[in-house]
Amino acid sequence: MDEKQGNILNTIERYYQDYGLRAKELKKEGKKFIGYICSLVPLEIISASGCIPFRVRGDIHEPITKGDTLLETIVCPYYRSCFDLSVKRKYEFLSGMVIPHGCDSMVRSYSAWSYSLPYSYFHFVNIPSVCVESSFEFFRDELNTFRESLAKFAGKTITDDDLLKAIRIYNENRDKVRALYEFRKGDPPLISGTELTMTLTVGSSLPIGEANTLFDQVLVEIGKREKSHLEKGPRIFIDGACIDNIELIKLVEEMGGNVVADTICNGARDYFPRTDLGRDPMKALAHRYLDKVNCPKTYRENKTGTFEGDIASRFGDIGAYAKEFKVDGAILYVYKYCDPFGFEVPARKAYYQSIQVPLLHLEDVYSAGTMGQLKTRIQAFLEMIG
Amino acid sequence: MAEEQKEAKPKKRKTATQAAASIGPMVKEFITGTLQARAEGKQKLAYTFIVCHHEEIFRAMDVIPLWTENFAGICGAKRDAERFLQRAESLGLSRSLCTYALCGIGFDQWREELGEMPPDSPWGGQAKPDFMISSGQILCDPRSKWYQASQQFMPDVPIYNIDLPYPLFQKEQDHRDVWDYYHKYIVKQLRGLVAFLEEQTGKKMDYDRLRELVDLSDRTWNLIDETYKLRRAVPCPMGTGDAMNTMVPINFMMATQKAYDFFVDLKKELEEKIAKGEGEVENEKYRLMWGGGLPAWFALNDFNYFNSKGASFPVETTYRMVAPLNEMDIPETKDPIDHLAWRWLGFWTFWYDKAKKRPGSEPDVEHLINWIEEYKIDGVVMHEAFSCRTWHVGLIWQLHQLAKIYKPIPVFVVGKDGKREKVYRELPSLILESDIIDITSYSEVDTRNKIDAFIETLESNRVNKAA
Repeated sequence: MDEKQGNILNTIERYYQDYGLRAKELKKEGKKFIGYICSLVPLEIISASGCIPFRVRGDIHEPITKGDTLLETIVCPYYRSCFDLSVKRKYEFLSGMVIPHGCDSMVRSYSAWSYSLPYSYFHFVNIPSVCVESSFEFFRDELNTFRESLAKFAGKTITDDDLLKAIRIYNENRDKVRALYEFRKGDPPLISGTELTMTLTVGSSLPIGEANTLFDQVLVEIGKREKSHLEKGPRIFIDGACIDNIELIKLVEEMGGNVVADTICNGARDYFPRTDLGRDPMKALAHRYLDKVNCPKTYRENKTGTFEGDIASRFGDIGAYAKEFKVDGAILYVYKYCDPFGFEVPARKAYYQSIQVPLLHLEDVYSAGTMGQLKTRIQAFLEMIG
Repeated sequence: MAEEQKEAKPKKRKTATQAAASIGPMVKEFITGTLQARAEGKQKLAYTFIVCHHEEIFRAMDVIPLWTENFAGICGAKRDAERFLQRAESLGLSRSLCTYALCGIGFDQWREELGEMPPDSPWGGQAKPDFMISSGQILCDPRSKWYQASQQFMPDVPIYNIDLPYPLFQKEQDHRDVWDYYHKYIVKQLRGLVAFLEEQTGKKMDYDRLRELVDLSDRTWNLIDETYKLRRAVPCPMGTGDAMNTMVPINFMMATQKAYDFFVDLKKELEEKIAKGEGEVENEKYRLMWGGGLPAWFALNDFNYFNSKGASFPVETTYRMVAPLNEMDIPETKDPIDHLAWRWLGFWTFWYDKAKKRPGSEPDVEHLINWIEEYKIDGVVMHEAFSCRTWHVGLIWQLHQLAKIYKPIPVFVVGKDGKREKVYRELPSLILESDIIDITSYSEVDTRNKIDAFIETLESNRVNKAA
C-alpha cells in the first residue's frame, strides 16, 4: 500500500471493495495468511508465529447459495455469509483458519468449515463462559495449545519475546484506532462512521505493521481537515455484533445522522481494550480476550443483587462512551438467530433507558435487500430524536 | 389478551411400552411435588439444565432441581407455549432465539408480574426458584443467557454459572493431550458449585453420600446402555417415540433409585417383548434412526404416523445422554467430583478415537455409522428445529458427509457394457423442519407428505436391494 497520503481514503475504498487484495499479493511472496472469525481470536499469537491474521468477512450484497447446501439457515446470517464466501473460494489465499467458541453457530459448524475448505491448518479455540480465576487459568492453557499448534504449522517456535513484541504492536494499533475515534468527538465529527468502518475493515485484512502505517496515514489525512464534510446531525451510537459492511452506517449518515461511537465487534469492543504488558504474555492475553473484550457470550455475575446494578456493570462501557462521545441516540442492531446478543435485548433496552439515551432496536438478516425497510425506521428515529 | 388463548389439546401418542406410558403421570407428579416443596419451604429449589453431570451434587445437598427445559417442553407438548412465547416477544426477545428459553422467560415474567402462577399454567406451573444454576457449556449459548434474562424479573434470585467445556474434535489433535487441563478446570467449576450450594443451603456436602449417588448414576448409565441395546432386536420392541418419554429418567431423574428401578422394569419389559417377537410395529418393514435434532414436542404423533407405514425407530442419538462407562478411556479415581469431571469428558469424547480411524469421518458422523450398523438401519431421519442452534446446526453437513463416506446399500445397476453390476448406494435421509415448542412453525400436511415420499424411497430400496 504505497499510495500518496492524499489518496489514502481512496486506497482504503479500493481495498475495501476488493477485500483481500493485499493478501493475494503477499501470498505470492510466500506469506501465510490465517483467517479468523470473531474478536475472541488472539491475533498476537498468529502474528508472533510469523503468519498474518486475516479477518474473514461477509458480503451483504452476495446471496447465500453454496453455503446453504452445507449449513443450516438457522445460523446467524452474518456467519452464514462468511461461510458462503469461503466455500465459494473467495478466501482461497488463506493457508489456515482459526475459529473460537464465540457462539453456538461457530462451534457447531466447525466440522463443516474444516472439512469443506482446502486449508492446511484449522484450529478451534475454546473460550470459557465465565470470568473467574479458574477460567483464566484454563484459558491460558487453551491459548498455549493454540500457540503450540500454530508453531508446529508455521515451523517456528513462538517465544515469549515474540509474543511481547506482538502485544506491543497490537497495542499501538489499538492506540491509533483510539486516536481515530477522537476525530469523532467534533460536532459534526471530522471522520464519518462510513470512513472509519471502512478503514478498520481494511486494517483487519492487512499485516499489522501495514495496518499501523495505514492508520497513521489516515490520522494525518483527517488531521488536515479543518472542517468536517458532514452536516451537523443527531449523534448516533451503534451497538451490536460485527458490522463489517458499511451500508447500515452509511444509511444513518445519508439520513442526516452522525455516527460517532459504537460497541461493535469490529469497532470499540475489539479495539479499545489493550493487553497488559507483563512477564507472562499468555496470562495477559487470556485476561484481555476473556475479560476486557466485553462480549455478551461471556457470563458476568451480578454482584449487586439488583437489576439496575447488574446492567450498569455489564453495559457500563456503553454509558461511558455515550457520555464521552456525547451521543443523542443509539441503534441496537442485532442479527436474527444471534443468541448471545438476542437474549440481552430487554436488558440493553433497560440500560439505554436508565442512561436516558433514546434507542432504536433493529433485528436484521445481513442482506442489502432489507436496507429499504431499515431506512424508513431509521429516518423516523432520527426525526424523533433530532 | 390474545396471548391468553390456549391451543387445541393434542391427541395422545400411542406408546409401545408400559414404561413409556408411565412417564406422563411421573412428570406431572414431579412438577406437583416441586410446587408442594415450594409451599412447604423446607428444601431449596434451583432452576437448572439437563446434561451437566451435576445431579448427584444437587441430590446430595437435598436441592430440588427445577428442569426449566422440561417445563418448556411440557408447555410445548400440551400445545400451550404460544402465550408464553408472545410474552417474551413483547419484552423484545426475537422468536428466532431458543424457544425453550423464550417460553421460560415469558412464564417467569408473567408469574413475577402477577405474584402468582399465570392462569391455567400447565400442571400448576413452574415454581419460583431460590437460585439458578446455569451452565455455559461448549454447546449451548442460551444456557448462560436464559437465567440472566429471567433475573431481570427476579433480581433477588442469585445465579451460579458453571462452565463445562470439553475439547472439540480436531483432526490433528489427540484430545488426551489437552484433557488434563480441561479436567482440572471442570473439577474447580464443580467444587465451586458445591461451595455455592453449601452457602445457599447452609449445609455441608456429605461426600460419602455423594460417592454413593455417583455410583448409583454410574450403574444407571450402564443399565440404560444395556436396556437400549436390546432395541437392536428385529422386530424392534421400542421406538424413538417411546424414547422421547423414557428420556425423562435419563435426563431429569439421574442419581435416584427411581430412575434405576425404571430401567430395571423397562429392560424386563423389552426382554419379554423380544422373547415373544413383539415389535413396536406389527409388520416391521423399515428400521429408521432418529439421527439428530430435538423432537417437535407438540407433534410426537408423527412417530405413530411413521409406525403406520411399517417404520420403526430402534435408535436415536437425541437424549441418549449416556455411554457405557467400561468403554470409556478415563482414569480411575475415588474422588466423586474428579469422577464426574472425567465422566463428562469421557462422554463427549466417546466417538473421537473411532472417528479418527475412518477417513472423512468425525464423531457425530461416526456415531451415526456405528449405530446404523448395530441397529440394522435403513434410513436416517433428522429434525431441524429453527430456534435451536445447539443441536441443529451441523445436521446437513453430517448427512452430506455420511453420504460421501458411507454407502451401505447394495443394488444392481446396468453397467456401460450392458451387464448387471453391483454398486453401493448411500442411506436415504430425511430432514423434517419445525421447532421444539413453537407450533406456528409446523405443518402436519407438509410433514406427512415428506414422510410419505421418504417411505417411497425406502420401499424402492427394499425392493431393489441386491441379495
